[in-house]
Amino acid sequence: GAHLSAARKAELERVASLIATPGKGITACDEGPGTIGARLENVGVANSEERRRAYRQMLFEAPGAAEHLSAAILDPETLLQRSSTDGALFPHKLQQLGVVPGVKPHLKVYALPGQGGATVMQGLDSLAARCEEYAAQGAQFAKWRSPLEIDVAQGQPSDLVIRANMHDLARYALICQDVGLVPIVEPDISLKGCHDLETAVAVNVKVQAELYKSMLDHGVYMEGSLLKPNIVNPGRDCAEAYSLREIAEANLAVLRRCFPIAMKGANFLSGGQSLGDAAARLSEMNKLKGDSPWNLSFSWSAALQMPLFDLCRGHGELQLEAMSELYLAELEIAGAAARGEYEAQGDEGAHLPAPSLAAAAA
Amino acid sequence: MAATDFRQELISTANAVASPGKGILAADESTGTIGKRFDGINVENIEENRRAYRELLVTTEGLEKYISGIILFEETLYQKTADGTPFVDILKKKGIAIGIKVDLGVRPLRATDGETYTQGWDNLADRCKKYYEQGARFAKWRAVLKIGEALPSELAIEENARGLAMYGMICQENGLVPIIEPEVLSDGSHGIEKCVQVTQKVIAATYKALHRYNLLLEGTLLKPNMVTPGQSGPKVTHEEIGMATLTVLRRTVPGAVPGITFLSGGQSEEDATRNLNAINAAPMARPWNVSFSYGRALQHSVLRAWLGKKENVAAAQEVLMKRAKANSEASQGKYVSDGKASGESLFVSNYSY
Repeated sequence: GAHLSAARKAELERVASLIATPGKGITACDEGPGTIGARLENVGVANSEERRRAYRQMLFEAPGAAEHLSAAILDPETLLQRSSTDGALFPHKLQQLGVVPGVKPHLKVYALPGQGGATVMQGLDSLAARCEEYAAQGAQFAKWRSPLEIDVAQGQPSDLVIRANMHDLARYALICQDVGLVPIVEPDISLKGCHDLETAVAVNVKVQAELYKSMLDHGVYMEGSLLKPNIVNPGRDCAEAYSLREIAEANLAVLRRCFPIAMKGANFLSGGQSLGDAAARLSEMNKLKGDSPWNLSFSWSAALQMPLFDLCRGHGELQLEAMSELYLAELEIAGAAARGEYEAQGDEGAHLPAPSLAAAAA
Repeated sequence: MAATDFRQELISTANAVASPGKGILAADESTGTIGKRFDGINVENIEENRRAYRELLVTTEGLEKYISGIILFEETLYQKTADGTPFVDILKKKGIAIGIKVDLGVRPLRATDGETYTQGWDNLADRCKKYYEQGARFAKWRAVLKIGEALPSELAIEENARGLAMYGMICQENGLVPIIEPEVLSDGSHGIEKCVQVTQKVIAATYKALHRYNLLLEGTLLKPNMVTPGQSGPKVTHEEIGMATLTVLRRTVPGAVPGITFLSGGQSEEDATRNLNAINAAPMARPWNVSFSYGRALQHSVLRAWLGKKENVAAAQEVLMKRAKANSEASQGKYVSDGKASGESLFVSNYSY
């Protein structure tokens, strides 16, 4: 951050602190028109720009939602759309509601040749120019997701894949800060696989340690950046059982081993976990974190939104009122988890191997 | 992962040394270096005088109130009091952890501008085993980096980080908590911002190496320099030093490390205490215990009170307790100067020992 002015650093830190407000989290609404369109069509609702606008308006303006939200991540299309409540552009509407607006710039995944399908995320070209535009349109932060998969047998993620992805994340962060956006860096290690929790911990530390070193080497102002990591879990098909507490402790262990104190918080992604599992794990982390100084919260998309789409099945049209009610109920769960106050129902948050796997392992 | 047998012991030793309100007495001056100290007080550098001086330190009544660990030179580890009690027995009884300097000094890196690597890996595992048997539970290895126009070089940073990681790995495999010491010298006329950049880079490279060599961070300690202007650079306040130092640590030191014990690096006794106080008083959260590992800054006045004379031992021990207490308070952000500590600069250019 040595090249940034004191004023710029102060502003980045101010916005990062707002996003990391204790007890609040992020609603991730940044799916592109194609992706969100597929979700609509999947429940029998036609994809149109107006429907996408109305749906996002509900996510922002549902009564009571803003109490649990510090920020919202938008697709570039949404930055230019307006609220029908008062005609305000969505970024300004969100600011009025006390929710910091951010953007996911267009990115495209690319399989690195010779790496068994492992990818890098492409999007650095012209990123500065695009981010300047988004900033002018009211975005105050950006997010970039670099997905990785663990496949122990194939030696993935390999050192090359880790370095390539983490260096790109660091450069993205540097560019964002240069144009006045707080960068959220998202190293997303998938649930896919049968690796155990210890392996997940080791890989998460390796990936994250590479990321922070790369950020420091690039000159990123750490205090003006945020993390959006996956929750550390055993692979989906892991044959060993783990308790909720073990999983929460593994997450705290990873953070303690490499997450800089200077970064204000981590907003965990849901990545295929149910809302209940994700909330149970986040809540347990908060219960156990002691005086670890980071804010630990959520940045959820599918976990919050997929049940909302289900409400539209058979109706042929968005059910905004019903969706709004369910969304608020879900946000109350998310907010409770961010405060360490969500009580897991039944086995929520534990990893229980599928019966066939457990039998095979026995 | 470190050797499973020692895992719990490494963690508990590291935590014990990182006890709030306590710090480390660095008394590991090599024979040559202690000779320089003795020169300053006209004391002959013979084994008996070295033994007598270290006896003075080790037998100080109540030292364990402020000192959680003491770093010794190899010779001292095997020495006894005048009446035949091994030093290690006295320290064990006081509950002061015993540390041992294991590096064998610095050597030049070829074709660099006076940069160095630290040597000492040969037989290190066997030496650690021996020291552990004698009662040592932690070790120290000093890596040295310089600030200059194009210094430190990438080579020096990487090589010294690797040296520390290998030393740390070998220590943990043999039951000793490694103190990780990547010292950035204060020689030079640079401003504090340069020291921020360099210290940040060096500590980040160090932890990258520690991760690479699979060290158990919870069973290590960090002994860094404070972030200051160069010796002949523009002066700043203690508060600025406190903020700059804590900022760098928050960016680079993982929360899993139980304690950070600063080196004094030639600061006067008073400055070393006041700067430590400023770091602890700085208004930013920190998860590690932040304390001292002082050699010169604890012993300067002690040596001058002793002057090699038996009849001065009690007075010299009082001085040691006074400095230790002051630094204990500083490690809690509670130090108030009484104006009597030595303000004499203890800076020696291009320091090696």
